[in-house]
Amino acid sequence: MSAALRLEHVTKRYGAFEAVSDLGFEAGAGRICGFLGPNGAGKTSTIRMILGLVAPTAGKITVLGSPDARQVRSRIGFLPEERGLYRRMTPIEAIVFFAGIKGVPTAEARRRARAMLEAQGLGEAMHRPIKALSKGMAQKVQLLSAIAHEPDLVLLDEPFSGLDPVNQQSLEAIIRGLADRGATVVFSTHVMQHAERLCDQVVLLARGRKMFDGPVDQARAAAPRRLLLEGGLDRAAVAALPGVTSVEIDEALPDEAAGGRRIVAALAPGAPAQDALKAAFARDLDLRRFEVREPSLHDAFILLTEGRA
Amino acid sequence: MSRILRIAMREYISYVRTVGFWLSLCAMPLLLYGVTALPSVMEKTTPPPRLAIVDLTGQGLGGALKAVLESDEAKTGPRTLVVAAAPPEALAASDPAAAGAVVRRYMAAARSGRLGRAGLDDAVVLSRKGGRVALDLWTDNLSDQALEGRLHEALSQVLRRQSLIQAGVSPGVIAAADRIEPVVAVFSPKAAEGGRVSLRDRLPSLTGFAMGFLLWSTVLTGAQILLISVIEEKSTRILEVLLSSASAAEIMGGKILGAGGVTLSVLTLWGLIGAAIMAVSAPAMGADLWAVLVGRGLVVYFALYLVGGYLMYASIFVSIGAFCETPRDAQTLLAPVMIVLMIPLVFMAQSIRHPDSPILAVLSWIPPFTPFLMIARVASGPSLLRIGGSLALMAATTAVVIWICGRAFRAGALSTGRVDLRGLAAKLIVR
Repeated sequence: MSAALRLEHVTKRYGAFEAVSDLGFEAGAGRICGFLGPNGAGKTSTIRMILGLVAPTAGKITVLGSPDARQVRSRIGFLPEERGLYRRMTPIEAIVFFAGIKGVPTAEARRRARAMLEAQGLGEAMHRPIKALSKGMAQKVQLLSAIAHEPDLVLLDEPFSGLDPVNQQSLEAIIRGLADRGATVVFSTHVMQHAERLCDQVVLLARGRKMFDGPVDQARAAAPRRLLLEGGLDRAAVAALPGVTSVEIDEALPDEAAGGRRIVAALAPGAPAQDALKAAFARDLDLRRFEVREPSLHDAFILLTEGRA
Repeated sequence: MSRILRIAMREYISYVRTVGFWLSLCAMPLLLYGVTALPSVMEKTTPPPRLAIVDLTGQGLGGALKAVLESDEAKTGPRTLVVAAAPPEALAASDPAAAGAVVRRYMAAARSGRLGRAGLDDAVVLSRKGGRVALDLWTDNLSDQALEGRLHEALSQVLRRQSLIQAGVSPGVIAAADRIEPVVAVFSPKAAEGGRVSLRDRLPSLTGFAMGFLLWSTVLTGAQILLISVIEEKSTRILEVLLSSASAAEIMGGKILGAGGVTLSVLTLWGLIGAAIMAVSAPAMGADLWAVLVGRGLVVYFALYLVGGYLMYASIFVSIGAFCETPRDAQTLLAPVMIVLMIPLVFMAQSIRHPDSPILAVLSWIPPFTPFLMIARVASGPSLLRIGGSLALMAATTAVVIWICGRAFRAGALSTGRVDLRGLAAKLIVR
């Protein structure tokens, strides 16, 4: 699969401060790529470099086959982190205007705007001034403005921030729709759940450095599976179970006086959980709950960033 | 439609749709009408002041002064003065100070409205001091010096006549001498018809000044429209989205074009309204004005200097706006630009009387002042070399300003926080 976006050894310095260090990754055509990291990780700087708004201090960026994103502007859609639209414009005017400067003829832009607004339940609001819309509605209009020209690459900077759960869900649907159409979607977020649900690929960033780049499953696999055990358990006995690498007491249970507690145990990579279960029975541990927990992207992120976040 | 035109169109429509645009469109002609018509309306509706003459000279000067004043009143249109009867207590006063005290009481009573129509606004006390006639004027209106001058002139005339009569000159001869008026004519090599200066010859310099002022206000209005528009886009991050869709030059160009369209529409409409009023109320003057504007090429020069001045200042205002998220941020950065803009305004009025003064000639070569001062001076007929040279220098400077402002605009659009002048300078040099 050809890469819609390729970054090679990209570095961005602002004076003595290095916002992005030796960053490299690829996003394939038609894929959804999550660009993950806490605030200040260098996500916005990277997106600005991809867009050609600021030049990298070092390294090379190829966007849709071009070494300069400005040459393929009309094939890129962009939603900035902080949102805003012309307050006196109506949604339909805003979408037609932004699609227009991306090269879509006015009549076609108007047709698309109507269809998109109707599909997003904004049909009744399409002729109202944007200043009269709710925040969620205005954010949807801005997203539609960014994609009405049917771009091949869509860059969304923190698209979920400020949206209520219902609007977050509809935004996820829009992003999936873009990828189904063949567009590459790169979105930044610091909320891992969205990336877990949506992304084919994630790039984890912390303090300007790439910590991981690959599929979500692979990222999760980097973190250990954990066992949740409850009962009248002894810490040392749990630590002695086969495959267990570390234990920590999560919470005392109501029968704490009788030794009741919840213990979380980390499993070594590849260690079967059932071996630990068999051993627990064989050693007659007072076990009332045994649960295997697959690692989350959040767990992987903490581990992969080694606390740099 | 190209990106630049789409951006220009949006800019134009967004401003034309505002109530403020239509208000300012209608307000300016009304304001101009007010400025020209109100003084005469005020004069007509304000009752003329009542003046009493208290003559303590015993030579009948009061009556003669009253006659001269009323004779002057008869020559002019609406009354500007009413000579009222003097208070008897004042006439019976022993000296000017006592008469003044009486007059003050009457004037105070008039201020309080107790005397109604019989009140006094001004009073003159005539007396003799050391062999000379003295005139003490008591008035409530401290800022009106015209009355003082008028009384001085009238009393001088009375005293001259009295002196001539005492010297044996007959009143008929004096009256005949007073009627003598020379015929004064002004000639100039620059005048059109036989060298004799007419209103038509003076019209160009007045028109040049008016056009300079119009150009100044047009440039400032257009630039301020742009400033507010860019600040709005910066504060809402729309600029960032625009920069991902079009080049900084396209955005800046589109915005400048759009706001230019707004100011041009306003100018055109005002021009049409002005032409219509002229055609109806003063067709002869309208024809003279047309001859000056078109015949002398003032319209063409106005267009050229407007384009240069507008592009120069619009670019500066746009780039300043790109660094600001609120109008308050812009105030600090705009202060030096506004000082520069005030300089031609100060010197523009001088161009009517002294269009070729060395200071004006030098200042009009300085590109930031060129558009306003040259259009004001151009009516006095500077050489084509000066006009062409100033236009070329202005065009070159405008090109450099646009280039620098384009880079500053791009840097500003993506900036956050306070303006870092060192960082900005670096960005102007390197992308």
